[in-house]
Amino acid sequence: MTGPLVVGVSHHTAPVEVRERMALSPTAARKAMGEVVRAAGGEAIVLSTCNRTEFYLAGAAEGAPEHAERILAERAGMDRGQAACHLYRHHERAAAEHLFRVTSSLDSMIVGEAQIQGQVKAALRDARDIEGPRVVGPVLIRMFEHATTVGARVRSETTLGEGAASVASAAVQLARKIFGPLAGRRALVVGAGEMSKLALSAFAAEGLRDIAVANRSAQRAEDLARRVGGRAIAYEAAWGQLADTDIVVTATGAPHRILGPDELRAALPHGPRQPLLLLDIALPRDVDEAVAEMDNVFLYDIDDLLQIVGDNIERRRWAVPAAERIITEETGRFWDWFSSLDVVPVLRGIRARAEAVREAELQRALAKLTHLTDEDRAAVETLTRQLLAKLIHDPTVRLKQAAGNGRGAAVMEVARYLFAVEEGVEGNG
Amino acid sequence: MIAAGHLAALAAYIVSALLLARSLAEGGRAVPWTASAALAAGVLLHAGALAWFSVRYGELPLAGIGPSLSTLGLVIGLFVLGAASLGEARPLGLAVVPVAAVLTGLALALGIAPSEPGGFFGSRGWFYLHVLLAFGGYAGLALASGAGLLYLLQLRELKDKRFGRVFRFLPSLDKLEDVGRRSLVVGLISLTLGLVLAWAWTVHFQGSLQLREPKVAWAVGTWVVMAAALGLRGGGPRRERWGAALSVGGFVLVVVVYLVLRVGMIHGGFF
Repeated sequence: MTGPLVVGVSHHTAPVEVRERMALSPTAARKAMGEVVRAAGGEAIVLSTCNRTEFYLAGAAEGAPEHAERILAERAGMDRGQAACHLYRHHERAAAEHLFRVTSSLDSMIVGEAQIQGQVKAALRDARDIEGPRVVGPVLIRMFEHATTVGARVRSETTLGEGAASVASAAVQLARKIFGPLAGRRALVVGAGEMSKLALSAFAAEGLRDIAVANRSAQRAEDLARRVGGRAIAYEAAWGQLADTDIVVTATGAPHRILGPDELRAALPHGPRQPLLLLDIALPRDVDEAVAEMDNVFLYDIDDLLQIVGDNIERRRWAVPAAERIITEETGRFWDWFSSLDVVPVLRGIRARAEAVREAELQRALAKLTHLTDEDRAAVETLTRQLLAKLIHDPTVRLKQAAGNGRGAAVMEVARYLFAVEEGVEGNG
Repeated sequence: MIAAGHLAALAAYIVSALLLARSLAEGGRAVPWTASAALAAGVLLHAGALAWFSVRYGELPLAGIGPSLSTLGLVIGLFVLGAASLGEARPLGLAVVPVAAVLTGLALALGIAPSEPGGFFGSRGWFYLHVLLAFGGYAGLALASGAGLLYLLQLRELKDKRFGRVFRFLPSLDKLEDVGRRSLVVGLISLTLGLVLAWAWTVHFQGSLQLREPKVAWAVGTWVVMAAALGLRGGGPRRERWGAALSVGGFVLVVVVYLVLRVGMIHGGFF
């Protein structure tokens, strides 16, 4: 049986300009899978994320990988030669190992990110759901299902997925260490630039009760507030909100500090009664460091958030060797299963032939032993079955073992010869 | 059987604390469920040993230094288990499970024997209820003290921008403050009821409040510490920090005063 194979492009081999052109929408992916399977047979699954677009193939005729490569090249508007320098292939066991690494997010741009597991599951689901002729079969289904198990195992047994890996999620992690769950908290965002958008999106997902957005351009404040279900307020009114705010994100383009101890004291004459988290993600910074001296004020700038991200990514790196060990172990398991597929027809052939001999010899013997009772005849039949089962037990086990340790082809040839099993007539049991 | 049960409970408490410490040392990974399981096993074994004590001697383990220290250890273990069920508060066990372990170990070292004949006066029921309520108060203070200690540590990490293993391991300030406040509320109510009952009992059987008795003064002092730690919370920028600090300092003070009084006592009595 032709083993699995992967053809694709990823962030390791191509810049975003190439990846975005080779990316396949779910509809395009379904069409591409159908095309490859119609042309070369076998099985196909497309995995297309922002980090990669890959065709997983199995049992296909020659030319299937070239067909997949042609589809990718055409989408990128390149000729095969140009596209080839961005594409890679992994064959057989390496293809399975690659998928397991991908699903465990070891191959992701941000190692340990969680989305990839859902994307792998979705790719399998999409392939299964295609109407018309089937594009997936036992090999890829088993490989993708095994991959999601491997991904889950890596996440549960290592620290690979722990901690925030972006500035926005680090801000949320920090806020959680002060406030616990953030649902019901109130946020004020000053500035409506790209950083504000990222931070707000992360906070909005936590179920904040109120989000106020202040910006010198009222229109931009309105736009951002609408995006996250918040409300826009006048820039000048921002500090007046502090008494009713838990989290403040500042990300303006102001060339000077916009919040210092004086502004804070003016807004909160007795100081904050509850913890006040100030996240200053602007450069140059918006908030005077002196406010951090005040009780109940927690001030962090972009460097602090990057430190959290750096620490978390470092911790994720420590987990890589443990994750690699799991992947190697699981790849071995998958490969044992896949290799055993090759011996199945031979084993069926041996069993069919042995069964035919047993049945014929039994009938011949019973024809002569006419004096036997029905009970005796049944006992003789049981005896022959047991003898047969015991005789073929060891060859069966050893054939499977040989298939798993790379000697499968040679041992199968010998088995075929010894048991007179001809290719193509291997039984259908 | 009683000693063996206590030894097994002590071992389970130590295992629970070690698992929590390992989790912290390994970089603040999520608290393993095995730490809570070990604590639950310890509480069960401890309760079993004390139940056996009650069956064997026909009295509750609330009189005499060994049995009462053991029961206090069990009540503290139960409080920590209750807090651990809140999920995020599981790391609290690192600060408080050792207290339960020390009390259990002390009880074992001092001997878990029944009370002397004639040691009681008045009704046993009153006495038992009083001691149980008082232990609820002390356990509340112990838990609040643990929460306060972790609050101060986490506050320091956040203020000093140290995002290492302690920062990752400890719960949020909000959770620690919440557990500390609830523990004080429960503990204060329990201790107040215990004191009121004790006074009613003393007045009934002895005709006066016995305010000069060291144990009464100590219990009142504990009540004042708890009330102050609770009263300090809320209403101002530094109140939570001071409340946490007073919970920690107050607990240490209460323990030290207890030990001083205990060592200084000439007559054993029921202190």
